[in-house]
Amino acid sequence: MTLTPELLRSVAAARLRDTHPELSAHVDSSTPQALRELAPRGDTVVVTVIGRFSLPDWVRETCRFALSVPVERRAPWLRSFTRTVHLSGRPDNLRDRFAFDHVAADGSAAWLGPAPDADTATLRRLLKTFRGGRELGAWSPVTVEIPGDAPRPPVHRDLYVATANVTVARTLVQVNHLLVESVLDGLIGPGDRLTLRAVPRLTGLTVPLAALRVDADSHRPHELQAYAALTEEA
Amino acid sequence: MTASPRRKVLLAPVTVTPAKPLTPSHLKGLLWTDVMFRATARLADVTYRYSHTAYHLTEQTLGFWEYLDRTRGDVDYSGMSEEDVGELYVRFRAEGGTPTAAALRPYAESAEAGWVHPASERVLRRWLDHYADLGLHEPGLLAHQPPELGLEEMVAALVERGLGLDQRDVGGPVFLDATRFGLPLRQIVSPDGRPNYLACALRDLLPLAPRHDEVVLLYDSELDPDYQLLQRVLADDGTVVHRVPLGRVPIDGKITSARHGGWHDHTVGTILRSIRDTHEPRARHLGLRLYFIAVLGPGQQESWRHDLLHRCLDRAERLLARTTAGHRDEPAGESTPDLARELARHRRDHTHVDPYRLTSSLLGRRAPAGELLTEVFL
Repeated sequence: MTLTPELLRSVAAARLRDTHPELSAHVDSSTPQALRELAPRGDTVVVTVIGRFSLPDWVRETCRFALSVPVERRAPWLRSFTRTVHLSGRPDNLRDRFAFDHVAADGSAAWLGPAPDADTATLRRLLKTFRGGRELGAWSPVTVEIPGDAPRPPVHRDLYVATANVTVARTLVQVNHLLVESVLDGLIGPGDRLTLRAVPRLTGLTVPLAALRVDADSHRPHELQAYAALTEEA
Repeated sequence: MTASPRRKVLLAPVTVTPAKPLTPSHLKGLLWTDVMFRATARLADVTYRYSHTAYHLTEQTLGFWEYLDRTRGDVDYSGMSEEDVGELYVRFRAEGGTPTAAALRPYAESAEAGWVHPASERVLRRWLDHYADLGLHEPGLLAHQPPELGLEEMVAALVERGLGLDQRDVGGPVFLDATRFGLPLRQIVSPDGRPNYLACALRDLLPLAPRHDEVVLLYDSELDPDYQLLQRVLADDGTVVHRVPLGRVPIDGKITSARHGGWHDHTVGTILRSIRDTHEPRARHLGLRLYFIAVLGPGQQESWRHDLLHRCLDRAERLLARTTAGHRDEPAGESTPDLARELARHRRDHTHVDPYRLTSSLLGRRAPAGELLTEVFL
C-alpha cells in the first residue's frame, strides 16, 4: 500500500461512513475543513490525565483502557469520533475525588469515561490542557505487549508514528485515536504486541496497513497527512 | 516561674514591583504590615521577610529591565523620579510582547547574584526615603536577600511532596498541584523556564516556613486564589499559615493597577508632600495609620479621601496631646506587662496581632498609653 492524497481522502471518508453512515452521503469528508466541522459531533468524551509521559507505557495503557470500555459505552464514543481530552495532572492527587475508569499501572496517567461532557466538567475545571510542545524525536524500535488473556491468537503489528513537526501533545491526539479505534474494531486485543517505530513522515511506507490515522497536514493545513499507521501482522 | 518560650512568627507580605511609584493601595499594605510587625514583635520573635532579590526574577521585572536596555540604551536613571520610571513601565506593559527566556537569561543570572537594574535601584532608593518619612521599619529593600532554594531545588521539593507536576521534559510547564485539596492546577514555570511570582514566593518561603510556629501572608485580595494555594503548600508539613488579604484603595470609586499608570497626584510622594507642612512627623505617622488601617479597613469599599486623611491627622494630634507617659526605659524587645496585655487582646486565636483591631481601639479612647504609640505607631 502506498500513501497518496487519494488514499488519505478515502481513509477519512471511510471513518465517517463507518461512524455516521447517515451523513456520509451528504458530507464531503475529503478536506481537513470538513473533518474539523465534524469533529465536535456528539457529547461523549474521554478525559485522560497525564502525569508523566513515556510513549511505550502510554500506548500500552491506552490499549488497556480501550479494552476495558464496556460494550454499551463504545457506540456513543465511536459516534463522537472517540473524542478525548488530554489534561495535565497527577492521578495520585485525584483518585480520592474522582472515580477513574482506568489508571496506569505505574500511576503515570488515568482515564475517565467515555461519559457525557457534563460528567467530566469538575475534573476539567481543576486541570489544564496537556501542553507537550516539544517534538517527540526519533527512538529505537520498541515493542510493547498488551496485557490480558488473549481470546484469539495474539498478533504482532508495527505502529508507525510520524515525528517531524509534530509535538508530543499532537502525537498523543493522533496516536490515541488510532489505538482506541483499533481496539474497538478488534484489530488490537489482549496478548497482542506492537512495535513502535518512529519515522519523520509516513510517506513512502509500503507495508500492508490495517489502520491509518489521517488529519490536517502539520505544514499545509488545507491538505491531509498520515500521522500514524498500524500494519497488518508483522 | 519560667516564661513560656516566645513563639516564632514569619511575616511575609507580597512585595511591590520596583518599577513604579507607590500608590495608596501599596501604602495601605505597608502600614498594615508595619503595625502587625511592630506589635507582634513585642510578644513573639518575628521575622519580617521582604526580599526583592527573590521577586526580581519574575517576568514582569526582568522583562522591564530588558525592555529598558533594548529601547533606551545606556541612560542615566539617577536623576529620574519614581513617576519617570513608572511612565516607562506603563509603556513596557502597553507595548506588550513576551520576552523570550533567552533574552531574559542574562538578567535572571545577574539578579540571582544580587544585581539590580539602575532604574529599579533608583525607585527603591526613593522608597527608602518614603519609608523613613512614614516611620516604617525598613526590611532591607536594597539588601541582597537570595532565596535559599534554587528554582530546580524548589520544583524537586514540590514534586517529591506530591505538590508539583513538572512536564518540562515534554515541553510543558511546571505546575503547583494542590488538586488533592480541590484547588485548581496552577502554572508556576513556563515551558521555556520563566518563573512567575508564585514560583519566586515558593523558593523563598518553602525553606523558611517550617522554622516558624506561624506564618502570616499579607497580600492584595485580588491575588487570593494564588495565596490560597501558597497557604496549602506551606501548611502541608503542619506549619500554621494565616492569610491576610487586603483590598485595594479605589480612587474615585475605581480600582486600578499601577501598571496602567494614571496615578497622577495620588502617589505616596505627593501625599507625603501635601501633609508635610500641616502636621508634625509623629502626627503624620499616627494619622496615616489611623486612616489606612482603622478607617479604610481590610476591604475596598471606601475610596481614597483626602479630607478623611486630614481628619485622621487632626485626630492623631489630639490623641498625642492627651497621651499618658510612656516607658522608654524598657530593654529592647521586652514589653511591660501592661503593653503586652494590651497587645495580646488583639490577637484572637493566633500569635500575630490584628492591626485593624489594634488601631481601631485607639479611636475609642481618650488617652492611649504612650508606650503603645511609641512602640507600634510612631
